[in-house]
Order: sequence, then structure tokens, then C-alpha cells
Amino acid sequence: MKKTILVVEDEEGLRLLYEEELKGEGYDILTAKNGREAIRQLETGKPDLIILDIVMPVMDGMETLGRIVSKERKTPVILNTSYSGYQQDFMSWAADAYVTKSHDLTELKKKIRELLEISEKSRNL
Amino acid sequence: MKKVLAMVLAGGRGERLYPLTRDRAKPAVPFGAIYRIIDFTLSNCLHSGLRRIYALTQYKSTSLNRHIQLGWNILSAPLGEFVEVIPAQQRIDEHWYQGTADAIFQNIYTLQEDRPDLVLILSGDHIYKMDYRKMIAFHLEKGADLTVAAIRMDRKLSREFGVIEVDRDWRIVGFQEKPEEPKTIPGDPGGILASMGIYVFNTELLVRRLIEDARSESSHDFGKDIIPMMIGKDQVFVFDFMQGDFGGTGYWRDVGTIDAYYEANMDLIAVTPQLNLYDPQWSILTYQSASPPAKTVWIEERRVGTALNSIISNGCIISGGNVKRSILSPRVAVHSFAEIEDSILLEGVDVGRNAKIKKTIIDKEVQIPPGMEIGYHLDEDAKRFTVTASGIVVVPKGIRL
Repeated sequence: MKKTILVVEDEEGLRLLYEEELKGEGYDILTAKNGREAIRQLETGKPDLIILDIVMPVMDGMETLGRIVSKERKTPVILNTSYSGYQQDFMSWAADAYVTKSHDLTELKKKIRELLEISEKSRNL
Repeated sequence: MKKVLAMVLAGGRGERLYPLTRDRAKPAVPFGAIYRIIDFTLSNCLHSGLRRIYALTQYKSTSLNRHIQLGWNILSAPLGEFVEVIPAQQRIDEHWYQGTADAIFQNIYTLQEDRPDLVLILSGDHIYKMDYRKMIAFHLEKGADLTVAAIRMDRKLSREFGVIEVDRDWRIVGFQEKPEEPKTIPGDPGGILASMGIYVFNTELLVRRLIEDARSESSHDFGKDIIPMMIGKDQVFVFDFMQGDFGGTGYWRDVGTIDAYYEANMDLIAVTPQLNLYDPQWSILTYQSASPPAKTVWIEERRVGTALNSIISNGCIISGGNVKRSILSPRVAVHSFAEIEDSILLEGVDVGRNAKIKKTIIDKEVQIPPGMEIGYHLDEDAKRFTVTASGIVVVPKGIRL
């Protein structure tokens, strides 16, 4: 079955890049420009994985992550940012992976595959 | 020295203490004439050298806020010391605290800012004197990730407590919440280890386990969820309260019901109470308004103002009435020929002439009219007041009689 990924990213260019590249990998893609949109998408779209930018207007990635986590959601989250310093934040530990932003999406794609596999396995347990 | 942050869970509704908790959270319920329940935990922190304390509140927190602002504004902010109240802020999610673990998780940003090495999690609901330094030293010595304080209890009481199962090394190997068939202490088949709701955590591991718990379907409670999750996975130990009890008598009470509250108060009027309030080395701090000294008046043939086996606070005037085995908070007035026995009168209560009060708790500022009897005809009392199964009457705050 096709997996759905929610891409949360305020920068339009990047959002389009992710969308195109990940569609090419065979995923369905949902997008959101900020955390608030992402929370709405979570309710309606039921993604299998979330790629979450940190620095965004309206609602940033850390706050969004807090909300995702405290709703007892197991959906894997990849924090995706240009800054590595956020790994010091306690809330960032709630993410399943932390990938530094790059135009080369090899690492991101690898993490996506890994996490989807893990969550598939734990669902089948 | 390790950097330790104390977080006191002070959000308890205390439903079984109703009506004393109608207008205030459980930690703010008056106790022992001049104290609030939370004063014991906060005083323990201070005497244990812990001067960075957050009290987490949510329901009916105004009274507790006021008390902490007035009574606990005694630390030195420039030295980085504080007792601060944090109300539920719904910063992470728009809901009230769902359990004890959720209360800490929702304050993860506070931990983040403070970055302590260890977090001491306490309950603001208990009456005891404990040197938390002993527990922290034990935690470090054992190389523990989590240490839980426990008190030895008779196994018959297992259904009231979280019961901890340990191996011979005092490592936790099991946790049962209010079990009928409890695991007993190795070498003591009649005894159980009851959790006191006191936890020392390594901060980093606490955060990781809280996140894990937040993401799972759980009641988000330390006893029910976090401890069981950590057993077998992390280094989890029990600290025996007797090793840290300051008084050495093992006195610890969860005054969770009206009966338990009443008994714990009455414990204080014993000739030598197990909980010694008079030890200057472990004084219990509180807020008190400026009131004049207590006073008794009238010594005539029929009219004598007396107080026997009782605790009488500042501002009380016993004017020709008789008080026996009772606890009077500040500014209580007892008028001529009134009789008060085995009762707890909170601040500002006024007992009119010839009134008779027995086994009754009267909340703040209630005026008892002349000649009224309470505690003598429980059927009648039950029509207006809360009366417990053991026959204690509670007269609520604000009632007009």
C-alpha cells in the first residue's frame, strides 16, 4: 500500500522539491506551510510519516512536535532543519530522526525508508 | 555537587477531602492549626538544601498561590533560589494535566531552561519530615536512573498504595498499583513497600521516558506507567524512608480523606507527637498574619475559660468557654459556656455562647450561633453538613447558620 508523507515546510521552493522527489519514490504527499496547517492535516490526512521543519512562522516545528506527541501519536517524525543546535532542545528528542537540510535528499530518503519499516514492523507485532 | 531541581506536584483535587477542598487545592488545605499541607514538603526541601523549587498547580490554585507568595517569598533570587508556582499553561497541548507524568512532561520547557542534573519530584499532599539529601546520595551511590522513596507498611494496607517489589539489593523488580495480593518485603512477609510518590530522576532519562510515555496510550502516571516501563530496562531503586526520616519515628501521612486528615491533626495533640513540630532544626515554615498572642479569660465560679490538651494559635480568645483535645487555628473566638471537644476549628471561627461542638471540623470564618450543637446528633447534622462514616462532621466555609 502506498504510504503518505506529510511535508511541513514554510519555504515554497523546498516544499516543491520534497514533494516532487518523494512522489518519485512512490509516496503520496501532503504539504503544510506551518505547524497549524500540519495539525489540521494530521486530523484529516492521516499521514504515515511527518517531515517537520523547525523555523516556521505561525507555529514552529518544536511546538508542533509537542502537540503531535501529546496526542499519543506514534506517527514517526523527522525533524528537518538547517541548524544542528536544536538537538540540544529536550523536545527535539521526541522526534524519531534529525536530518540536517540539504538539496541532496539521499539521507532523508534513507531515514524515511528506515522509519516506515520500523513502524510497519511494530504495527504487525 | 549535583544540580537538583525540585518539582512539587500540587494540582491534586483532593475530592475525598471535600468540602475542605471546595475552594482550594489539597496542598492548600490548612493543617496543624497554622500550616498548609504543602508547607511540610516545602520545608523539607529547604532543610535539605534544595532551594530551587517549582510547585505545579492546576485546579483551584488561587489559595495556594496566595499562600506561597505570602509565606514562601523567603529565598534569595540573586542566588538563584526560588519557590515558584507554575499553573497549568497548556503550552504543549490544550488540555489539563492527565496524570503525574503528564504534569512534568507539559513543563518540559522549564526543565530545558533549568537543565538540572537531577529532578526531585514530590507530592504536595503529604505530612512528614524527610531529608531528601539522603535519598539523593543513595541515588548517586547506586548509579540509579530513578530512585523511588518507599515506606514500610503492613501488608493489609496494600489496597491503598502503589506497592513496590524489590530484590535483595533494593532494586525494583515489580510495581503493583493498589493490589489485593501484594508482593512483600524480602525477609518480612508481613510488610510491603508503599510508594510515597517521591522520585529522584536523572534529568536526561526522565525526559526520554516522559516523551516515550506521552507518545503511547497511557494514563501518563509515574506509578502506573513510567515506573513499570523502566523496570528491567533502566536502573531503578527503592530508597527506604526510614533512612531519610528526620524525626526517626517513621511518621508519614497521606491526608487524603477527611478521616485521615482528622486523625493526622489529632496526632499533634498527643503528649509526645510522632511528628515533632518543636524541633528548631527542622522547623516547618508557613505564612502567618500578625495576630496577638492567644488568651484565655474569666475565672469565676461557673464561668472559666480553659483549654486542655489542645493547640491554641495566635489571635485566639477563649472567653469563658471550654476547649478540650482540639486544634484552634489563629483568631478563633470561643464565647462563654461554649464547649469544644475533639474538634478542629480553622482560622476566624467564632463559637457563640453555650454552643457545643464535638468531633467537628469547622472551616474558616464560620460563625456558630449561640446554643447550637454540632456533633451530638449526627442524623440531624447530616442534613446540613458532611458527616463521615466514622462520625466526623465538617462545617464548610461560607455557610450561614
